[in-house]
Amino acid sequence: MKLEFIENKKYWFWLSGIVISIGIASLFLRGLNYGLEFKGGVFFDLSFKKKIKIEAVRESLGKLGLGTSVIQLVNEKEVLIRTRPLNKDEQRKVVEMIQSDLGELEIRDLKNVSPSWGKEITRSSIAALLLSLVGILIYVSFKFEFKMALSAIIALIHDLLVVVGIYSLAGKEVTPATVAAVLTILGYSIYDTIVIFHRIQENSRNIGRRTYGMMVNDSINQVLVRSINTSLTSILPVVSILIFGGETLKDFAFALFVGLVSGAYSSIFTASPILVILKETEPLYKNLKRKYGKIAY
Amino acid sequence: MSQRQKYLLSVFFVLALVVASVYLIYPPAKSTRLGLDLKGGLHIVLTARPLPKAPVTEETMERAKVVIEERINKLGVSEPEISRQGSNSILVQLPGVKDPREALDIIGKTALLEFRPVTTSTAEGLVLGETLMTGEYVKDAAVDFDDFGKPKVDIEFTPEGAKKFDQITAEMVGKRLAIVLDYNPKGRTDEEKGIISAPVVNERISGGRAEITGDFTIDFAKKLALVLQTGSLPVKLDISESRTVGPTLGSDSLRAALIAGIAGLVAVVLYMIFFYRLLGLITAGALAVFSTLFWGTIVATNKFTPLGWTLTLPGIAGIILSIGVAADSSVVIFERVKEEIRAGKSFKQAADKGFTFGFKTMVIADVVTLIAALILIWQGVGPVRGFAISLSVGIGIDLFTTFFFTHPLLSLLSSSEALNKSLLLGVRKGVA
Repeated sequence: MKLEFIENKKYWFWLSGIVISIGIASLFLRGLNYGLEFKGGVFFDLSFKKKIKIEAVRESLGKLGLGTSVIQLVNEKEVLIRTRPLNKDEQRKVVEMIQSDLGELEIRDLKNVSPSWGKEITRSSIAALLLSLVGILIYVSFKFEFKMALSAIIALIHDLLVVVGIYSLAGKEVTPATVAAVLTILGYSIYDTIVIFHRIQENSRNIGRRTYGMMVNDSINQVLVRSINTSLTSILPVVSILIFGGETLKDFAFALFVGLVSGAYSSIFTASPILVILKETEPLYKNLKRKYGKIAY
Repeated sequence: MSQRQKYLLSVFFVLALVVASVYLIYPPAKSTRLGLDLKGGLHIVLTARPLPKAPVTEETMERAKVVIEERINKLGVSEPEISRQGSNSILVQLPGVKDPREALDIIGKTALLEFRPVTTSTAEGLVLGETLMTGEYVKDAAVDFDDFGKPKVDIEFTPEGAKKFDQITAEMVGKRLAIVLDYNPKGRTDEEKGIISAPVVNERISGGRAEITGDFTIDFAKKLALVLQTGSLPVKLDISESRTVGPTLGSDSLRAALIAGIAGLVAVVLYMIFFYRLLGLITAGALAVFSTLFWGTIVATNKFTPLGWTLTLPGIAGIILSIGVAADSSVVIFERVKEEIRAGKSFKQAADKGFTFGFKTMVIADVVTLIAALILIWQGVGPVRGFAISLSVGIGIDLFTTFFFTHPLLSLLSSSEALNKSLLLGVRKGVA
């Protein structure tokens, strides 16, 4: 059985285009839900001996002028609170106020991030992202060729857009861990792409009576099982984190999950067709296309 | 030595390393250093703010770190960890601290002692001029009592400091010189501004000794002397992030992460055995070797090198992910082996050829992941770094395991006649 990946490229491009457009629309309309680390502020995770009500917590915070904070119940006895930036004394007052209003509590987690620190994280994340792209572009150009590097990078940007769009749609919180996840996705997505490109490079030496597109299509078919299996073995641990990993790790795994699926897709349905388009502008392959383009399909 | 002997030697070498790792790891609860997010405690990131008289340089940051270390040692916290982060931050981790407030009070005190001239005195307190001198020239400090039994702090300057102080007091005779600790220009009262006292300079002080008197308690005097002894910080540090993790959250997270890790490993192994049969069993062995070596590396890093490797939640996520990478390596090689068998080669020929080609693909793909991970280590902050370190070490160990364990084992098995039945490999000969 042979599947036609290159011949049907316009459908894949449409699919990617629609998913990305919805994501970008959401990005403009809803934006991203930036976590504490990017905005600055204080995060409390408090657990109580007795059952509590969210209204009571809000009322208690209201006395300190923090009634508009984000309050979330984890279960009947545990609450998460996110407030604006507070200094040490103010943090202490919050805990004392809630304790006197709602009874004895244990501080499970208390995180305080200054807004300038958030800027530092954002700056370093963007720098890391751009540098990674440049690094990958140079390495792949050197190891294979520039057109392959370019196709791989376009597929990466595709994955980034998909992840960011879905994050915005799902309203998931963006944390430094999300940034780490996104950068790993880059690595993984390119791993898949390289497995295919390595085969394309090998096959291009005996292209025979085929167009470049046919040869690429054959290459994809040859490594298809491998691509599916490498993606699955990567996705299985991530799914395991998604199911068992606890709150902090779950958000991280969500970004990875979306990215891995998109990465597996883009290697076959984005990177390879784009490579064919780029390569078939070269006289040699243009010629092959004129000669053999109509047969075999 | 024949090829076969070489392979056997290689497999035994790796197995010896595995035994050594198990020996190092045991008992696991003691040998593995857990981060605060997993066992509870206080985590603080201090970021330096440059001031005209206290610039942020490599040297001042290094000194600031030493000062903080000394202060924390005096607090009597067990296993504190203090490390530099980026060019202008210091990370302090105090595991198991019950009352984070006291620790925050002492560490948060930048204790930047300054001498500033009083320019005017208003109803809202004193207005101060620019810094004339900082506490970095203080050599020693001690609590003492004046004739009326009030506490005071005697300070002794370094020779250079003595000269400076001499000059300053000479110029300021008859004027008021404020002694300020952690100056806060926005303060509404003198106390909030951090002014300890602002005596009139009666005469030039040349001996390199001075005393700080004021309306303060013995407790304050002790704290002041302590921070001056351990050295006031050469830079102004702000708390840019602080996090207190309670012990229950820590153990909950650890349990969740462990379950996720084991479930991930089991799922990958089952899938590999289902799909690749005998080859899948080799993967199971390789993953067991990989995981043990990884853990052993973490423990060995802590034991034999000055670098501390503390396992954090993002770090564990990195490890779980590298399990996926390690399995990928097997897939890439095995698929190539199957392809060769389908093309009519014997298992033995296929095993060698499959490895040669598969390994090449794997190295290129790993290097690309490594590029991203190394850039993260270089540029990233906090949790992102922990994750990237785990991932890069994981990739390294994966390459090692594949080269010295998976391939030799595959080759050895492939020469065994009994195993040459294609059923065991999940492939039919001659079928494309």
